[in-house]
Amino acid sequence: MSIYTLGIDIGSTASKCIMLSDGKEIVAKSLIDVGAGTSGPQRAIDQVLEEAGKTREDMSFILATGYGRNSLEEFADDQMSELSCHAKGAAFLFPEVRTVIDIGGQDVKVMRVENGIMTNFQMNDKCAAGTGRFLDVMARVLEVDVEDLGALGAQSTKYVGISSTCTVFAESEVISQLSKGTDKRDIINGIHQSVAGRVAGLAHRIGIQDQVVMTGGVAQNTGVVGALQNALGHEVHTSPLTQYNGALGAALFAYQKYKKAHKDK
Amino acid sequence: MSIEVLLNEFAEISEHPHRQIEKFKAEGKKVIGVLPYYAPEELVYAAGMVPMGIWGSNKKTISHAKEYCATFYCTIAQLALEMLLDGTLDDLDGLITPTICDTLRPMSQNFRVAMEGKLPCIFLAHPQQRKPTFGLQFTMDQYQHVKGELEKISGNTITDEALRTAIKVYNRNRAARREFVVLAGQHPDVVSAVKRSAVLRAAYFMIKDDHTAKLEALNAELRALPPCDWKGKKIVTSGIICDNPKLLQIFDDNKIAIAADDVAHESRMIRVDAAETGDPMMALAQQFADQDYDILLYDEHSSENRRADFVVKKIKDSGAQGLVLFMQQFCDPEEMEYPYLKKALDAAGIPHIKLGVDQQMRDFGQASTAIQAFADVL
Ligand code: SF4
Repeated sequence: MSIYTLGIDIGSTASKCIMLSDGKEIVAKSLIDVGAGTSGPQRAIDQVLEEAGKTREDMSFILATGYGRNSLEEFADDQMSELSCHAKGAAFLFPEVRTVIDIGGQDVKVMRVENGIMTNFQMNDKCAAGTGRFLDVMARVLEVDVEDLGALGAQSTKYVGISSTCTVFAESEVISQLSKGTDKRDIINGIHQSVAGRVAGLAHRIGIQDQVVMTGGVAQNTGVVGALQNALGHEVHTSPLTQYNGALGAALFAYQKYKKAHKDK
Repeated sequence: MSIEVLLNEFAEISEHPHRQIEKFKAEGKKVIGVLPYYAPEELVYAAGMVPMGIWGSNKKTISHAKEYCATFYCTIAQLALEMLLDGTLDDLDGLITPTICDTLRPMSQNFRVAMEGKLPCIFLAHPQQRKPTFGLQFTMDQYQHVKGELEKISGNTITDEALRTAIKVYNRNRAARREFVVLAGQHPDVVSAVKRSAVLRAAYFMIKDDHTAKLEALNAELRALPPCDWKGKKIVTSGIICDNPKLLQIFDDNKIAIAADDVAHESRMIRVDAAETGDPMMALAQQFADQDYDILLYDEHSSENRRADFVVKKIKDSGAQGLVLFMQQFCDPEEMEYPYLKKALDAAGIPHIKLGVDQQMRDFGQASTAIQAFADVL
């Protein structure tokens, strides 16, 4: 009989679940666009169970991760930091990975992975610069959808520098560019470069080694990925499962923990 | 008394410094606020008054102090002023304002201006060159000034004999605290990170004889315990201060023991004793001269990176697997020292994390993630 494990990643802006069978096959996944402190986690759990046609009782081990990981104490069997889970998930998707860059809603993390295990990491300070939140704010000022940033930035023909890394100052810089009549697409491109510069700075603190994998919601923005590639001078790999990466890692750890507990007995 | 009762008593005092001030005042004692760093508290004790350490607050928010301070002053300095302005420290009879860093220097004048006519503020400038004869003389002159001002407030003359007694009391207290730091590192199952901090923090709010008596009793109990077989991780902490119970709880939740510390508020302040014989003013000046491996003090051998090597050795000696650095926001000295510390840690293969903190932080979500992940990589 298969062993089912569930990984739940409760981020600051989204809740994600991955269900695995035997620590190998993805059975079901769910994503709700609100995170910690909302109904998001519960809805994501309900959805993934429904999609797989399973119940809580069918799950051998449930592991929570992400900013809101402590809020599931009653439901989950254990919890782990999202850094360890992101490293784990990335190593599953890209066995050769050495560097994981995760840009989430409110923070940026860079992890060194050796043989599938996280050995070092860096996180941004409290500041929102270079995070998903930064892009949200910029998209709002520019009156475009955050999902469209990648495609729009790709049409840029001219380099416009956004020098401030501070979200507040960068916002005024963008507004002043808009009032000068600068093309939005060039501004967006500048914003992507600014994010990439900030993230590259953090990544250099632990050193970049191939393969570099980018995870988290922002990895869907091709503009940021491209700019980061240039800033780092290394190819940056992404996966369609990028947003689920933390939950995937959690489900993998859940499987490991289940196996360990049952071997000990 | 049981270990738990003693630890709880320390925690009570640590969490309620204001009750201590009220108690001292009710007993008819005068209380002198002492700001960081290296003020000769022995003089306050010898004058028959009670020194209260003021290292900011974990419960206040900066509001009144904004009128006086640039936003890039650290919260320790700003919150000290806040508590003077909002009435929290109204019962003080005086304040000693050392000026060791670029924040405390201008702050000493803010304290003076803000407290004009309300509270005597005693200015204290330590010399940069603390070891040569002229440096020792400078320190003595400064301490002489502090002594004179304390005598005015207390109405008592500070005799050499009283000062020698004070030095003995303080040496004994420092020795007890040093021993406690070692014992706490050996028995993390009994002394959690939260409780360890409370014991050390309470020293700033108690008459030292009382703190010593309680602590020696606790140390005796800890010494009698069987060795602890710690299954979790062990780290060394560094930084100016990390006394927020909510932040320290994260260590306990993740089974991370504090094996030793290089924290200003904890071990950096109790490393060096003063001579109990001879001229007591000279003994205090010499004690300051003998302080080493401190980011705030000039090191004539700075090119040798001795402080970082000292921290590396501390980590190795304590059996810790890594270092957690609490970086106070806007603290120039700590920020400037960091690259040298990082270099030495990297060279020694000791993992570390740097956590940005300030005393107005109420949410430790990010710190919790980083600490938990750090435990995973150790
Ligand atoms: S925290 Fe840093 S800046 Fe603030 S008083 Fe202490 S040494 Fe000075």
